Formats: sequence, C-alpha cells, structure tokens
Amino acid sequence: MGLLGAAIGIGLAALGTGIGIGILVGKTVESMARQPEMSGELRTTMFIGVAFVEALALYALVISLLLIFVKG
Amino acid sequence: MAEGGGGGGAMNPLHHFEIHPIIEIPPIAGVDFSITQPVLWMMIATAVVFGTLTFVAATLKRSPKGLQNFIEMTINFLRKDLVHAVIGEEGKGWFPFIATLFLFIAACNLLGLIPGSFTATSNINVTSALAIMVFVFVQFAGIRKKGLLGYMTGLVPSGVPKPILIIMIPIEIVSLLVKPFSLAVRLFANMLAGHMVIYVFLGMIILFKSIILTPLPFIGVVIMYAFEIFVALIQAYIFAVLTASYLSDALQEGH
Repeated sequence: MGLLGAAIGIGLAALGTGIGIGILVGKTVESMARQPEMSGELRTTMFIGVAFVEALALYALVISLLLIFVKG
Repeated sequence: MAEGGGGGGAMNPLHHFEIHPIIEIPPIAGVDFSITQPVLWMMIATAVVFGTLTFVAATLKRSPKGLQNFIEMTINFLRKDLVHAVIGEEGKGWFPFIATLFLFIAACNLLGLIPGSFTATSNINVTSALAIMVFVFVQFAGIRKKGLLGYMTGLVPSGVPKPILIIMIPIEIVSLLVKPFSLAVRLFANMLAGHMVIYVFLGMIILFKSIILTPLPFIGVVIMYAFEIFVALIQAYIFAVLTASYLSDALQEGH
C-alpha cells in the first residue's frame, strides 16, 4: 500500500507541476515576444518562479521516498 | 533520515546517500565530531572556493584575463544582479554573506557530480543548517533595524480591519516559519532527486542484462548529467536570491 501511495502521490505532483511550469514558461515566452529588450530580466524571474513551483513537487517526492524506503 | 532499504528490491539507489564516518572521533561533551562524508566534502568545497579566490586575488592584473576575468564576472553578477537588484542600497553590508552562500552551495553541488564523491547538500542536515542560519540572520536584521515590536507589527499589512487581523497574524507567523523549511527541502530534494535519477539510469544498464540495449540508459545518464550541472548552479542561485528577498522583506519600511 505504501508503494501505491507513493506512486499516486508523485504522479499527482508531477501533473500539477507540469501545468504550473507550462503556464509560467508560456507567459514568459509571450512577454519576451512583446518586449525583447526585457528578455534578461524575464528569464531570471522565470527561473525563480520555476524553482518555487518545482519545490512543491519535491515536497511530494520527499514524502514518496519516505513511504517507499522507511519501514513502519 | 532512517532509511530501512525496504521497497527498493535488488537495487536501492538510496544506499549511496548513507553516511559513514571516515575518521572516528570520540564524542566531546556528548557531541559526535567524527569526520563523515558530508563533512569531508564540505571542507573540500570550502578549500576549493577559498583557494581559487585567494589565488586569483594574489596576482591581480589591471586588465584581467582567464580565471581572474571569470571570477570578476561572477562577483560582479552577484553584486549587481543579486544583492543590489533585490535589496537595494541597504544591501551593501549583506553582500559577503549572500555571495558566500552562493559560492559554497554551488561548489558543494558541483563537486558532488564527480563520480565517487558525495554531495554534501544532498543531506537534509546540511541544508537545514544553512536554512536555519539564513532564518536567524534575517530575523536578526529585521529586529535590529526596526526593534522587536516594530518588526512584529511590520509582519502584517497595515490598515486592515480588526477581525481580519485575527486571521492574518497566524497566517503570517506560519508563512514566516515555512520559509526556512522550504529553503532546506528545495535544495535537499533537488540534489537528492537529481543524483538518484542518475543512479537509477545506471542501474537500468545492469537490469537490462544485454549489450545491445546499453546505449539507451547511457544516453539518459549523459543527458541527466548535463541537466544536473545546470540544476546545481540554478539551485545555488535560487537559494541566494531567496535569502536576499527575505532580507529585503525584513529590512523594508512598511508594507
């Protein structure tokens, strides 16, 4: 049961993260197309945003690892 | 983390991350000072950063070339695009701390990519120590600037009606305590997950038991290695930028 929970957990987390990062990068590309001179700043902000969104998926990864590898 | 090696089956990628003492030192006053793998590799990272910077600073040239040029670019980037852009003028005193954080974490992450080494930051204890240090420094900076009462009233936005204030205060306190936790877990999980994917891919080469299929996981390993170099630098940058951002939140006047 622990393995099943771990798999479902990380799957859902990957789903949410995929949507979140997809929206984020899409908006960044759109803004870069509108205003190419701001590209550097936009890219930096995008990386910070991606790190925030990925951190949420990594919380789920840590819980999944706990479920798989720690007995009892 | 007490890893029991339970569900991994024949291959448990987490066993690479277990800590064994290299030099046993008997406990001094109840604290175990033995040299373990993360301790050793943190010392190596410190030596690398310190040695490189001292070596470059010993023979400074007016028109920099090569290594000095690269170090100057890094320091300039840290100073202008990290500290000044996020904190502003008050940030001048905090530049050494944030630059040290970035260089140390980047060195630890990158040294962990050498085959056979141990990534110090892939251990939750190391990243929690860094995150607790950041948390303490940020509170200290805020309280020193605004006084204890001024800092605590500065946590909630000004000009909210009383009933909302009763809900806002626990929310703000929780969000304040979650920040170091998220810093620690973000760095730890990124390093752990990245290296574990590499181990799993390498394990697949053994699992497939066929010479013909070997290039497939091998290409995967190469791609993940390149991505890990990128992630190592990005995570160091994210840690430093978030530290600067929390500092600027604590130092700013009003909301």
